[in-house]
Amino acid sequence: MERGLYIAASGMVAEQMRQDQIANDLANASTPGYKADRVTQRAFGDLLLSNSLTGQQIGGLTMGVGLDRMATDLTPQPLRDTGEPLDMAIAGDGFFAVQTAQGVRYTRNGQFSESAAGTLTDQLGNAVLGRDGQPVKVGANGQANASGVGVFALTNVAKQGDNLFTGTPAGQATGTVRAGELEGSGVDPARTMVDMIASFRAFEAGQKAIQTIDDSLHKTATQVASPNGSA
Amino acid sequence: MLEGLYSAAAGMAAQQERIDGISNDLANASTTGYKSVRIGFRDLLYSAQGNGAGPTVAAGAGAAASIFGRSQEQGAIQTTDQPLDLAIEGPGYFQVTRADGSTALTRDGSLRLDALGRLTTQDGDILQPPITVPRGTTAEQLSIGSDGTVRIGAGRALGRIQLVNVPAPDGLQPLGGNLFAANAASGQPSAAGASTTLRQGALEGSNVDIGDAMVDMMDAQRTFQMASKAIQMQDQMLEVADQVKR
Repeated sequence: MERGLYIAASGMVAEQMRQDQIANDLANASTPGYKADRVTQRAFGDLLLSNSLTGQQIGGLTMGVGLDRMATDLTPQPLRDTGEPLDMAIAGDGFFAVQTAQGVRYTRNGQFSESAAGTLTDQLGNAVLGRDGQPVKVGANGQANASGVGVFALTNVAKQGDNLFTGTPAGQATGTVRAGELEGSGVDPARTMVDMIASFRAFEAGQKAIQTIDDSLHKTATQVASPNGSA
Repeated sequence: MLEGLYSAAAGMAAQQERIDGISNDLANASTTGYKSVRIGFRDLLYSAQGNGAGPTVAAGAGAAASIFGRSQEQGAIQTTDQPLDLAIEGPGYFQVTRADGSTALTRDGSLRLDALGRLTTQDGDILQPPITVPRGTTAEQLSIGSDGTVRIGAGRALGRIQLVNVPAPDGLQPLGGNLFAANAASGQPSAAGASTTLRQGALEGSNVDIGDAMVDMMDAQRTFQMASKAIQMQDQMLEVADQVKR
């Protein structure tokens, strides 16, 4: 009986985490180059119930669920025209590389600017790297040569925040850089809102399960032994 | 759970910042030489969820927006036929000396002559290097070439309006009144390239595209609403959690 309480609670905890992830996606619905997350659930290890007298197997009992894995949907999103020469987008796969204090990081957000030294930088001032791994130069006319900006393939991609991803570089990627365009956010508002509602209802169902089990426990504790069968 | 509330609130704050930038652009849709702001977005720190979740499951902290520069797009050239209206075509700035002695940059070329015959901006900031016209000269007599050379009619040169540029215009510090100050982030001003020219009798309009700004504003409003829905939903979840124990 108490197992049921904890199983339902684990489902509620998992839905809470899903809501956190959905809130983060919605907050980034207009962040260029943002990639939406998907979380997958898994059941904790099943128990095999058996009759201890006869050894007959009765069946499995799940001990609840937890969030297993967060997958980032790296599908390239449509590009939109901004007319800004230092806005860049990758058409197709791949990442821009920037030199941060912690090492090389990768991004799909091409809202670039320039430094006083005349090199292309991201919003936070990190230098954007070219195909040769050196900072990209911005010309006196305020434009950078889009074909000189490096596009790198990555494996084991993970989000770090500030538009940055970590990962293992795997050479040049197939995508091409376009100046004057930005990649849209990967958040699909309709789908995310529906996910949000579905998750909320699952959360509510977990609560109802707990309440029902609680009612049963209450009846067990108060009615079973009472002489007239009522509390 | 509470992370989600704050992530969504951060998303709303980011959209608020964006609306502020767009409002400023719209307010300056007819300011001479105004350059629209560029608003940058980024997601924030991710931290592991723990609590029985897999190691890759992380909670994001929402989004942030900031103005990280200005569009350098050329504004439309508007012909005014006023002899002291100058439009800059190409990247570059007029360099002026302000009343407090500091140097500032501007693209607002609506100039006038002060009592001493010096060329100044409408606010009285003096062009640097200064150009002084002989006593009794009227604005109509002045002819200013595309390279900035100032003459009386076809006569001898009185001086040359020196246009300057900085390596990183995004780093310029706005001073208000259409003025900018060079700093470490922008780099020091140097003479603008030969491709930057002046046009007499014209002004550079604001480069704000009202259509784009309006669409951006609608997008910001809807995104703001969606983030607020996430907050409502999280609030309802707290209520449901609260009712577990009746």
